Amino acid sequence: MHQCVKCSEMYDDGAMEILKGCKCGGRFFFFMKKKDIDAVKEITVNLTPEAKEQLENDAMELVGQDKEELPVILDLESIRMNEPGKFEIDLIDLFNGKPLVFKLSEGKYIIDIVSTFDKDGDKR
Amino acid sequence: MIRILRDFTKRIFGQLFRGRKQVKLGLYGPPNSGKTTLANRICKDWLGEELGSASKIPHETREVQVKEAVKIKSKGKELNFNVVDTPGIATKIDYEDFMKHKMKPQDAKKRAKEATRGVIEAIKWLDNVDAVLVVLDATENPYSQVNITIVGNLAARKIPVMVVANKIDLKKAKIKKVEAAFPQYDVVGISAENGKNMEEFYESLFRLVNKR
Repeated sequence: MHQCVKCSEMYDDGAMEILKGCKCGGRFFFFMKKKDIDAVKEITVNLTPEAKEQLENDAMELVGQDKEELPVILDLESIRMNEPGKFEIDLIDLFNGKPLVFKLSEGKYIIDIVSTFDKDGDKR
Repeated sequence: MIRILRDFTKRIFGQLFRGRKQVKLGLYGPPNSGKTTLANRICKDWLGEELGSASKIPHETREVQVKEAVKIKSKGKELNFNVVDTPGIATKIDYEDFMKHKMKPQDAKKRAKEATRGVIEAIKWLDNVDAVLVVLDATENPYSQVNITIVGNLAARKIPVMVVANKIDLKKAKIKKVEAAFPQYDVVGISAENGKNMEEFYESLFRLVNKR
């Protein structure tokens, strides 16, 4: 059996999720023999989120890979404001001088008209 | 005849002023790569004073800072620089990351807003720089969206670029990986904090500026 490190979902041996990744996005699984499931589950339940993250980082380091960060590609907006203090920025739009479009929530946008007409930016 | 004379005068004076012109040198890169530490190192080396404050908390620099008339010498040559230190460029800014550094939620949210504004400002300033140092943390993965976007865009704008692999004094630093990621650029490994390899850095900087 395989248990997702992130969400603790269990998968049988050979399940597609083990190759493609868990539905939560996790790509790491604890492997546990069927006879030891109860004992191992207890250990994994007691792991803190920090300890789980450390496990993932250590595993990536051992195989010589860096933890992948998903690229930010936005739709119409150049800046998405998910909640106060959380921003996602489409750098390509900004580098290409596209007008600033802020997405506040589904169907709510703010367009910075000044930046639309001032494509050269502030000449200093 | 008059036109030939006028063009000749223009060319001579143009070259004279070009020689004297201050080179606007932009420091760009992801947060916490050591841009301000490098800017401080340069200013300390040649002016005896620092430019801004550096911190372990990401996005410490949230406004563009400029130090004018920094005279740098290398191998008997001298050049005048305006050192432009920019806020870290990021694709995600999350106030919860600042709270891990024991910041209060209100302060963390304010910092996140200022940091986002800083990213916009930094990118706008690209129109005003003559050459760019892309400062990367040599202990981090160089193939990030931020790094690739910055370097790719500078190439499209035909702005001369030098990649500075900072923090080479740390065990985890992998300068070879940085070199492999940006094979078409001059990559110089330094430690801005303790001044390691700064001589080679200044030599490469002069080579970069002469490419303009």
